[in-house]
Amino acid sequence: MSESGESDIEWIFYKDRPEWRDVIPVPENDGPNPVVVIAHSEKFEDVYDYFRAVLQNNEKSERVLQLTKDAVELNAANYTVWQYRREILKALGTDLRPELDYVESVIKQTPKNYQVWHHRRVLVEWLRDPSQELELTCDALLQDPKNYHAWQHRQWAIKTFGLYDKEMQFVENLLKEDVRNNSAWNQRYFIVNNHLGWSDLNVQREICFAMEKIKFVKNNESAWNYLRGVLLHDKRGISGNAVVTSFCEELYKNKCRSPHLLSFIIDICDEAIKKGESSSFHGPDRAIELCQALCTKYDKIRCKYWNYISEKFKKVKREQEEQKKQDEADEK
Amino acid sequence: MSYEEGTHLAHRQHVKYFMRFLNILPSSLSSHDTTRVTIAYFSVSGLDVLGSITSVSLELRSRIIEWIYFLQVHPNKSNGDMSSCGFQGSSTINIDLDEANSHYKCGHLAMTYTGLCILLALGDDLSRINRKALVAGVKALQTPEGNFSATLSGCESDMRFVYCAACISYILDDWSGFNIPKATEYILKSINYDFGIAQCPELESHGGTTYCALATLSLTKQLDKLSEEQVEGLKRWLLFRQVDGFQGRPNKSVDTCYSFWVGASLKILDALHMSNYGNNKKYVYETQDCVVGGFSKWPDTCTDPMHTYLGLAGLSLIGENGLLEIVPTLNITNRAFEHLKAIHRNWANES
Ligand SMILES: [Zn+2]
Repeated sequence: MSESGESDIEWIFYKDRPEWRDVIPVPENDGPNPVVVIAHSEKFEDVYDYFRAVLQNNEKSERVLQLTKDAVELNAANYTVWQYRREILKALGTDLRPELDYVESVIKQTPKNYQVWHHRRVLVEWLRDPSQELELTCDALLQDPKNYHAWQHRQWAIKTFGLYDKEMQFVENLLKEDVRNNSAWNQRYFIVNNHLGWSDLNVQREICFAMEKIKFVKNNESAWNYLRGVLLHDKRGISGNAVVTSFCEELYKNKCRSPHLLSFIIDICDEAIKKGESSSFHGPDRAIELCQALCTKYDKIRCKYWNYISEKFKKVKREQEEQKKQDEADEK
Repeated sequence: MSYEEGTHLAHRQHVKYFMRFLNILPSSLSSHDTTRVTIAYFSVSGLDVLGSITSVSLELRSRIIEWIYFLQVHPNKSNGDMSSCGFQGSSTINIDLDEANSHYKCGHLAMTYTGLCILLALGDDLSRINRKALVAGVKALQTPEGNFSATLSGCESDMRFVYCAACISYILDDWSGFNIPKATEYILKSINYDFGIAQCPELESHGGTTYCALATLSLTKQLDKLSEEQVEGLKRWLLFRQVDGFQGRPNKSVDTCYSFWVGASLKILDALHMSNYGNNKKYVYETQDCVVGGFSKWPDTCTDPMHTYLGLAGLSLIGENGLLEIVPTLNITNRAFEHLKAIHRNWANES
């Protein structure tokens, strides 16, 4: 950690501290056959020898609270230290506000550590006060807009305490910053799904939003996936919404050959066939042709997949032809 | 990087690399202090995939086995309580504690799972495992939502530990500590609008958690609970993770470990053959350190045991020469799996 070099100069081992003379340190017992042995620093061993001792004595005091801070600084991933720290905070009835500041500083140093975020969550639960969580996670997401821990904490706080009001704006800003940020798209879905609801109006608005962003960057999987996700809530499906189908055809006409566009049109064909609404425009022939184009030109890396999809449409086509023959025979 | 480096497996160097990790690690790895068992797992299983488990001398083999058993948490002596049972990840809290604090000495699902895998890879017969206790330890960690916490003492719960709990139950051949319908419900709820699967419901789809979810459904024989639409959606989501190697989420950078996480997920769905092996392989090799051994997540960055093991496991899935076959669900070699089946037969005969 950043300051440890400087503070190490004045570092006094616990074993040399007069106020700790009453505690007998407990060394690690790694058994007679240890493997994967970490050559810890002397400081690490000293701090953890005392941590084991207080845990064994069940001491819950101010000085142990400080000891757990030292232990966290040496290894923020030690969940036992955090848990014991929480028990001490409870036992001493410590004011939890400064603890929020403390854990925030640790989060800033180790933003991808499960234990730290868990500690934060428990504190917020105890305080029933989520007032700082949006800002805290916003800061973490400025550092790394895709930090899974930060998103998880943010969703939890929003859901638990109903903090949806300004979230759409937050997501829009992130997408303005980076329209490919899949985490932000996911958050957008989360807000509509939990808060705004999938009314016809909202579905249409979200469709337009996704289409706008696709026009801006056509090969953006996140936006295409979002569009598909929104259409799960449109009774007409992905093939029955004229706004969407004409949007796709317009892109296609304008020479867009993004694999995401082509696979979307294939899905439109698939759904149209399943609904019995297949046409020459959205039927097996078109789908087979698109699979072929993806395989040989626009998405070669997934060539085998597109052949697999193509086979399904070829089967449909054979069945349709069989049916036609059958019908003709019946007429005679 | 020379032409040579891009094309073959630095087999000998990787063996040495894992052997070093089994021995002693620098103080810079102190943040792994509570999870040393996982480092041992990556190393032992790595040697196994390399077909080099015999590089582990009999002396070292018995040291590792004894150390793992030393980390087994046994039922509470005074009241017989088994909720803390499992393996600890290290000896950091391997001390006698009185009643008030006894819950601090407890197993951790990821350590129990990887500890068992180590024993299997080393050919131990699991005879010193307290099966009943370990199963009770698993049972104590399932939440009302159906997912699992890692430990009893204050820990988050998510898809990773659903997977670990499923592997443990499978290895112990006892599902009485694992509520399958509840866990399945949790997994189905965590399927996202893009058909990927997240750490918990409504979070972003992720390659690692999708693996945990699919492997669990496979181990619990619940894959048929996925609709055809979901299976096809998953295949596509997973295949679209391939850029050259694989990424964990849309629009994120490629990383060696996803050649396993995404590769194994595809294998479970019988769709791995539709990915591009050549590009995948080429990327993984770009992250290989031919001089001192090991793989990193990105080219020219620091290697670590996890990416080294998962890089090898990913290559094994696509049939790379010189590597043993991997069981995609349990993430152990077929060789270790055959050994497990023999143990299961013995257990069945005993009962
Ligand atoms: Zn990785």
